[in-house]
Formats: sequence, structure tokens, C-alpha cells
Amino acid sequence: MRKYLARRAIFALGTLLGVSMIIFVVLRVLPGDPLVAILGVEGHARMQPADRVRIMADLGLSDPLPVQYVHWLGDIASGQLGKSFFRGDTVRDLILHRGPLSAEIALLALIISWLVGLPAGIASAVRPNGWLDAVARVVSIVFIAVPGFWLGLLIVLALLFWFGYKAPIIIVHVWENPWQNLQQVIGPAIVLGLAQGAYISRMSRSCLLEVIREDYVRTARAKGANEKAIVLRHALPNAILPVITISGVLLGFVLGGSVAVEQAFGVPGLGRALVTAIIERDIIVVQNLVLLYAAIFVLVNVLVDLSYAWLDPRIRY
Amino acid sequence: MSEQRRSHRPAVSRRTFLRTIGIGAAVVAPGLSAVPARAQETPSPIRPDPAAKRGGTLRYAVHNAPAHFDVHQSGTVANIGPQSPMYDTLLRRDPKDGQTIIPDLAWKYEISPDGKKYTFYLRKGVKFHDGADFTADDVRATYERIARPPKGVVIPRTPLFATVGDIVVVNPHQVEFRMTEPRPRAYMLGAFASGWNIIVRKKTLEENGGNLRQVMNYPGTGPFKHVQRKDKEVWIMERNPNYWNKGLPYVDKLEVYHMFPFSPELGSSFLAGKVDYARLLDPVSWRKAKEMSGVTAAAFNQSVIQAFWCNEKKNKALADPRVRRAIHLAMDRHALIEVVKDTAPMQIGGFVYPFHEMSTPKAELEKKLGYQKDVKPAVQEARKLMAEAGYGQGLKGLDFVVRDIQTFKLWAVAIQAMLKEHINVETNLRVVQTSVWFDEAAAGNFDLAISAIVSTLMDPSDIFSAWYGKNGPQNYGSWVNEPFHDLAAQIEKELDTKKRTAMVRRAEDMLEKDPPLIPVAYEQIYDAWYNKVRGQNPSTYFGIYDVVRWDQVWMAT
Repeated sequence: MRKYLARRAIFALGTLLGVSMIIFVVLRVLPGDPLVAILGVEGHARMQPADRVRIMADLGLSDPLPVQYVHWLGDIASGQLGKSFFRGDTVRDLILHRGPLSAEIALLALIISWLVGLPAGIASAVRPNGWLDAVARVVSIVFIAVPGFWLGLLIVLALLFWFGYKAPIIIVHVWENPWQNLQQVIGPAIVLGLAQGAYISRMSRSCLLEVIREDYVRTARAKGANEKAIVLRHALPNAILPVITISGVLLGFVLGGSVAVEQAFGVPGLGRALVTAIIERDIIVVQNLVLLYAAIFVLVNVLVDLSYAWLDPRIRY
Repeated sequence: MSEQRRSHRPAVSRRTFLRTIGIGAAVVAPGLSAVPARAQETPSPIRPDPAAKRGGTLRYAVHNAPAHFDVHQSGTVANIGPQSPMYDTLLRRDPKDGQTIIPDLAWKYEISPDGKKYTFYLRKGVKFHDGADFTADDVRATYERIARPPKGVVIPRTPLFATVGDIVVVNPHQVEFRMTEPRPRAYMLGAFASGWNIIVRKKTLEENGGNLRQVMNYPGTGPFKHVQRKDKEVWIMERNPNYWNKGLPYVDKLEVYHMFPFSPELGSSFLAGKVDYARLLDPVSWRKAKEMSGVTAAAFNQSVIQAFWCNEKKNKALADPRVRRAIHLAMDRHALIEVVKDTAPMQIGGFVYPFHEMSTPKAELEKKLGYQKDVKPAVQEARKLMAEAGYGQGLKGLDFVVRDIQTFKLWAVAIQAMLKEHINVETNLRVVQTSVWFDEAAAGNFDLAISAIVSTLMDPSDIFSAWYGKNGPQNYGSWVNEPFHDLAAQIEKELDTKKRTAMVRRAEDMLEKDPPLIPVAYEQIYDAWYNKVRGQNPSTYFGIYDVVRWDQVWMAT
């Protein structure tokens, strides 16, 4: 097990190093610089070439690329993650302030996806081609097909025009005011959770259908076991592994989807910070946030792999 | 002299003495009243309203967060919005109408008859938020920085003070600006009253090497003091209890929320009552707000032109004024405004702000080719001009660079169709991110380009130099027209308003025939506020940069 963990840790570090290089290069190859955002349109128009050189040097953007990359690794090692080009705040502060909100949304979305997706999948698999199955399949396809940000906008507009309601507009942490915090995170969590729940529903349905046809399930039925016990105690534990795997992958979608969904709901989480940083060409913030998302994705997948051994005694590392 | 007096002192009677004193006093008295040291300092024209109530919190939403904190170096309301309430200027625009220039930190000013000396008399007892006294040295340091920025500091308003020579501190409460040549009174006073030219401490500038980009809370003398800033969320300020204009401000707390302009987030926050006052609302939310009871919605003019450039250096055909005029006439401006009506509020205008007193009045303008509702005559003329220029068959493959903003993307498609249909000009759209657009425009890597540019003043001389000047920073088409540049130089120096107006009209005619850029539309601003916010109505304001201090605003319960 330790050997496996060490191997996975090294592999994860290698992956993150590769990701960091790709992000770093892509952000510097893409056209555009932060000077328009820093100086404004008028200031940018009146900027002399010497001013440009000086400001780019101040921002550390005129150093050779390898030097800039090493500086960034140094910033990561120091835990500060570098400073925003604009207001001088460190990226660490940004993550500490906004990260909890985004983490809550991701966690809640995951819980909702399981709470909705798994029962729907089970119900579909137990009575395949019945009306419940048909409803569950149609609804899941709808949630897979509908873009999260669009659904988010609809929800925001419906709440606004029907009830004159809008969630708090600045960050309220759970430890400051749990009720207001819940109002802030529940919308994005539902939108993201339902989309992921649709995948879980479809995956759990197909896995259960496969397992339900296995010999040991038929044997259990032949022995007169209760149908509920057959599904929940015998079939489901064996069908759940692929669902857990896909949950790990789906977390990546939740992280990616949260960028647009947070924007739609106006939730000031990390996703929205990423959008603003992209608009402002604040590449220090962008590269750190993308790397953070990549790190979370890698970590979750390691945890999913480890959970296999716990869920299925036949698997040993 | 005193020796002489002593030796030849005449004998005078008491009566003669008193009469002499009386006559002398009568002669000297008017002169004395002009001596600043003895003049009575007048209070600010912004007086506390007896009906106003003290207290409460004003929640104001405007634009996304600033990219840095240096107001002088900024060109965006992202800075002016949250930071302006913490600072004062020498002069200011009266919040009642947004136009009249009134005293601020300078309680009085004098302009010499030749227009070459501006003297400002400063208020006494004004303190910065850190407790330091405000003096003429701070004014001098501020304006030296604006007029002659240190290396690495770029201040968009520098050209407004190009004729400022020496800035002389006469005494701690009097400062003189000595001009190398005179400028129209309205132009210079407008520059001094600009909301951008906030007075900062000399010491602050010295301590930060003249660059305040990363200095979040530098002391001002304004009605509000910094309390807390949550990046990209809110900037919270409290009432300055020691504000020099006693009795103001009214509200105890000011919360400035950062939200993208024209965004659904801003609109929904206002409509849901999460903010009391919203600026830069999208048209859909603004119309909805207008229908709500207990809400006032106002539209007013903004200092922005939405423009279209033809690159004369890169494309030979576009160097021909007839081709550019043909493109100008081929645009159906009424249709273009309709295209973006749900995205951003716009109005028709020519080459000078259509609401400026010196520009061609709107009714007259809409009779001219290119501005009429019926585009047929304009299109006919455009085709004729293209044929005369030798491009009767049209032009092909023009690189049309479009700034990646919704209004420009919508317009680009419409303009592409109009140019093709009306004068057979075929274009290839190239949508680029904002910073890329400005780099491409400055480098001349385009045939046609569309974007928006701003000015500090409404005065034609400001835009004649920045937008149409031979080396103007926003003359992206590399346009040169010597007779126009000569006329613009005369307009800049002309002190007589009547003569100046006639010259501006002549300049407009020249620009119509040989367009340096093609005006697509002029932006408007949509504001809305709940009626509990009292003391401000921006309907007659020009732009969103001069009147944003909130000192006169109060909250009704």
C-alpha cells in the first residue's frame, strides 16, 4: 500500500509539473497583455514604448520565460502563489477567501448528485422500461444536455421576477452566517449536482442492470430473498465501483462547470475570480487557479483509487 | 524716503488729517478686498439641505473592481466609482446639474485678463484623513505629477495641462498656475474640475516614488474615509467626521459594490433591492426598473464615442477621403442603434459630442447625409463617391478587427452587411480580446476596426487633439489633414466663445468630408435608484467621472 501511495504521489507530482508547464506556456503564448486593464484605454493609448518596457519589467513579464517559470515555482514553494498584477493581493489570500465558497458548492453538488442520481438509477434498473425508468431517463438526458450556466440564469431570473429574490451579493462564509451562506451556495450546487446526478443515474442504472442478471442475484431470488435486500445488499455494492470512478471524473466537470455557473449566479467564488482574471489578463492568478483545479482533480482521483480497496476486499495494492 | 518725511513733515490740522485718512481709506478699501490674505473665505456652494436626514448606509453598485489604486493613472470608472468619495479636487462640478463649475478645495480662483495665470485660493483648516494639513504644496505636487508625470507613470489627463508652465506656491493657501499660452476658460476650468484630478498629499507621492498603483489607502481630504475593501466585492467607507464642509456628508456609511457594467448580476442585484443605486445598468434591467414603483431611472450622456477606423497607412484605398466618406454614408446609424438596444444605450452623433453646445444641433444633424432615417440618399452619394475614387466595383478582403465586446460584435456583423450591400465592400471579421485590439490598433495592423474611446472633457479641443490630432494617441487611422490641424490649433487658443463655436462648426464640416474616424454612436449611461436615495439626479450630467462624491446624498427612511 505504501509503495502504491508513493508511486501515485510521484506520478501526481509529475502530472502537476507537466500541467504547470502547459499552463505557463499557453498563457504566455496567447495574445494580449494586462496593460489595457492596468492603464485603462486612454492611458494605454498614451503609453510611450519606454513606459511599456518599465511596466512590463515591474510586473516581471520581461524576464526570460524559464526565469519567470522558476519564480513561479518559488512562489508556489513559499505558499504565497505570487501576487496579482493588479491590486497587489497574493493569490493565496484570494484562494483562502473565496475557496471555501467554491469548495462548499462542489461538495454540495457531489452530495446532491448522489442523492438524486443513485435512487433514480436504482429505480430505473429495478423496473427497466417502466414509466419510472422512462421519466428518469428523459430527465437525466435533459440535465446532461442543458448547459449549467443557462439553467443558472433561468433560476436567477425566475427567483428575481417571481419572488424579487436574489442571494447575498458578497461572500458570506458558513461560520459567519450559515443561512445566508446556504442561500449563496445552494443554487449553483443544485444546478451542478443535477447535471452530475444525471450521469450517475445513467451509470448506476446500466451497472445495476448488468449485476442484477448475475447468477448470484438469481440464486438469492431463488432462495426467496426480499427484493429490496437483493438490490441494496447484494447487487448495489458490486455495481457501485464504476459509479465511484465516474464521480471522481465528474468532480473535474463540477470544478470546470462551476466557473460558468458561479458567474451565472453571481457567486463570488474561485470560478468567478478565474473569469475576471482571464478578462483582466492577470496571468499570475489564472495560472495558479488552473493549477489548483488540476491538483484537486489529481488528488480526488488518487482518493477514488484508494477507496476501491476499501469498498472491494478483492482489490489490494 | 522715511528720512525725507521726517525732515519735511508738513503741519496738518486734525480735520485735514481725518479727511485725508477717509479719502485714502475709500481709495484703498476696494483694493484691500481683492487682497487674498484678508479676503473672507467663502463656504462651499454645496450647503447642507435643511430637509436632509443624517445617517444610514448607501449601497451603490458600479463597475468591476479597479485594476490598481492610482486614480490619476486610471481611465476607468472602476477607480472613480469607489475612490472618488475619499478625495476632493480644486474645483468641481455642481452635483445639482453636473455642469456648473464651483469651488471645492479652492474657495476662490482668479484668471488673469490675458488668460495666462490661474490663481487658486485654498481653504484653511482642511485636513487629510491621516490628520495632516492640506496646503498649496500638495496642490503643486499633485499637478506637477499630472502635468509632468514621472517615468513609468502614464496619466491620461496630462495633455490637458500641456500649457501649464510653472506652478508657484505663493503661500500655504495660495497657488498660481502660470501658462505658457492661454487656453479657453471653459477648457481649463473643466480640466481643473475633472473628477480625475484629485488632490493627494505631497508626502504620499514622495513616499511611493510617485506611483500609487499598489497603494490601496492613501489619504485624501474627501467626505468619506476608507474602512475595508473586499477584493472584487465591495469597498466600504465611513463618514469623515472632520470633513471641511461642515454638516456633510449625510450618510454614515458608503458601500460600493463591484459588478460588471451592463451585466445581469448588476441588474438583478438592483431589482432585488440588494443595492440602493445602480450605475451602468443594462437596458433590459433599466426598463424594468423604470416600471417599478418607488424607483427612479435616468439616462444621461457619457464621454464615450463608439467609432470605426479606416487605416490610411496600410490601405491605399482608405487613404482616399472619398472612400472614407462613402463608408461613413453607407452606415445606417438608426439601424445600428436598434441592433444594440438591448445591450447598451446609444444615440446618434457626428464628430463632436452631439450634446455639446458648439456642435451641430441634433435636429440639424439628422438632416445631413449619413444621419437621416432614410438611408437611400446617403447610399446613392456613397456609391457616387466610390465610383469617383475609382472603386465603383467595391473593395475586397478588408481586415476588420473587432473588439471582443457584445456591442461591437453585434455591430460588426451589421456593418459588414451594410458595407457589402451599399458599396460592395467585403470585409473579413477578426474578433480579438480588448488588449489585443488596442495593440493591433496602435501598431496599425488592420484595415477597418471598431471600438470605443473616451475623453476627459466635453470640450471639442480635447477630442480634436486626442482623437483627430496628427499625433493624437487615438488617431488609429493615421489621419492627417493639415487645414484641419491648423484650425484645431486656432480653436484651442480662441478665447471668444462665439468665434470658437463658428470655428468648431467649420471643423465639423471638414471632418464630414474627410473623416478621421467614422462615428457609429455615442454612449449613454443608465442609472436607477430607489427613491429613498435623495439629493442626486444625474439626468443632466456629462459622463460618470466628475460627480461621484456622494457628499450631498442622503437616505430617506
